[in-house]
Amino acid sequence: MKRYYKITPEGTNDLLFEDCLARRFVEKKLAKVFSSRGFHEVVTPGIEFYDVFQPEVSGIGQEVMYKMTDRRGRLIVMRPDSTMPIARLTATRLQNQPKPVRLFYTQPIYRNHPGLTGHSDETVQTGIELLGAAGIRADLEVIATAVEALSQCVPNFRLELGHAGFFRALAEQLPVTDNVREDIRQAIESKNYAALDAILDELPASQPVSAIRRLPRLFGGEEVFPLAAPLCFDEKSAQTLDYLHELYLAMKKLGLEKQVIVDLGLVQRNDYYTNIVFSAYVEEFGDAVLLGGRYDNLLGLFDLPMPAVGFAINVDAIAQIMLKEGKTPAVRPAEILVHGDPGYEVQALRYAADIANQGHRCETSVFETREEAVSYARASGMKQVIFLAETTETITLEKE
Amino acid sequence: MRPLRIALTKGRLEQKTISLLEAVGYDCSAVRDKGRKLILPVGNGKLEAVLAKAADVITYVEHGVCDLGVVGKDTILEYGGGFYEVLDLGFGKCQFALAGPKGKDFFGGYAAKTIASKYPNVARNYFERKAMDVRIIKIEGSVELAPLLGLADAIVDIVETGTTLKENGLEVIEPICDISARLIVNSASMKLRKTEIEALVEQMERAKEEKRA
Repeated sequence: MKRYYKITPEGTNDLLFEDCLARRFVEKKLAKVFSSRGFHEVVTPGIEFYDVFQPEVSGIGQEVMYKMTDRRGRLIVMRPDSTMPIARLTATRLQNQPKPVRLFYTQPIYRNHPGLTGHSDETVQTGIELLGAAGIRADLEVIATAVEALSQCVPNFRLELGHAGFFRALAEQLPVTDNVREDIRQAIESKNYAALDAILDELPASQPVSAIRRLPRLFGGEEVFPLAAPLCFDEKSAQTLDYLHELYLAMKKLGLEKQVIVDLGLVQRNDYYTNIVFSAYVEEFGDAVLLGGRYDNLLGLFDLPMPAVGFAINVDAIAQIMLKEGKTPAVRPAEILVHGDPGYEVQALRYAADIANQGHRCETSVFETREEAVSYARASGMKQVIFLAETTETITLEKE
Repeated sequence: MRPLRIALTKGRLEQKTISLLEAVGYDCSAVRDKGRKLILPVGNGKLEAVLAKAADVITYVEHGVCDLGVVGKDTILEYGGGFYEVLDLGFGKCQFALAGPKGKDFFGGYAAKTIASKYPNVARNYFERKAMDVRIIKIEGSVELAPLLGLADAIVDIVETGTTLKENGLEVIEPICDISARLIVNSASMKLRKTEIEALVEQMERAKEEKRA
């Protein structure tokens, strides 16, 4: 029995007209930013082996991935993330390419969300990866590209900057099991002060314990740095903080002071981030529209260790926001309908091709009579009908 | 910019939150005699209160159409979601517990057990942590009925005083976790309106401490 033949799976939808235009508009705009900065486009397969996205590394739970098997019974997933495939691709196919490698992509990812919550299971992301470069120049370039990309679409964004290493260094000092460490990370991630305090109260007082207690509250502008400085208990954490400060100052120089927030409690779910992490938010969307960071250990998993940094932007979210703000192209009807009288069908096609080449949007009539052609043109909102017969005749349609 | 919007779980948590907000100094008269309205101004329009069912509070906050929400930890554990859980408000206290017929050894024997619960996810997580295979049946109303009728071996439910359990010949087999009302915040709002939200959270925390004192 056919039951589901008129609907699309939950979490997916058809894109029509203005939605399509909006998405392509954003994709094109961002691709232009990326390619103007020397990033080259790649496309990875929509399906990949499950092994590429090992949950321990990717932070993507197995229940989140859409799975199937291939002809030989091997486990396949629909791409749940683009960074892992790009790491795979770089480590296997670009071994001999001079470094750094600059790549960008625009493609959907698929994630199986819990039902009836209004989340999309198919999301188009666009992003860049700068592979084979470490240090502040690379980090700054990627952040500056993120800023440039967002400025062109949603200028009122907030960019949040953190460092995965800060929490990790502190957490290593705690006398706890990995499970408790994960509980602590989750409590910091969700700014759950109550849960965090409950765990930390059980531990003997020490400098790392009190530092971790402060961590989720350490977010804001430049004032965060002097507040965080006393929490650094060794050279490594002090260096991390200094590095973040240096980045912040550089961004201030770029005129981004008002748009950048530092959050030392930014400990992301994606476990592959090792150093800086950043994300961007806008008023009109309840979740991050951009996520990124440095993942220096990821390429090593594909046996070609190299430092790398990148980000992904949620294209669908940006397109929806810009569409609502009327910043995306409108759907317009063709301007001209070309109708050939009986015997002039081929001439009509040729004529239409000519004026289309001159830059007009035109349709050719599929109707038998002039009356039908005119009423169709009127109904579709076209401005002109051109009749081809022995003589060419143009009528202009008034707006009703 | 629109006023901060806070979603309140209708009923008891709503009343408690209102008195907390009043202790902070917000005028809540519009919420006190609300009629049938669902969006109400608080503190001369400084805040906007939205009244909703518990699970919907999470949904509204997660999608960012409400910046903050007050909801029980029970609902958070059952429905989950991505948001900040910034304050334990200290009221609406109770606990999740595994309960079953009095005097019966639940953990004995090797037969797989059947559990009835209004909170299937909480029940599933609890038994997964114990590495126990159980059959979970979702019940919408009085869960205590299920073991009495012989449908389930035990229940996972909220226990406040334990009176209902006792009157039906049930007892707590094992407490699962403590529950109380939480203040949750949408993650984007937290970044975009940090100063306002932090100020409000701090005020509420102080009012909570003062009430306790």
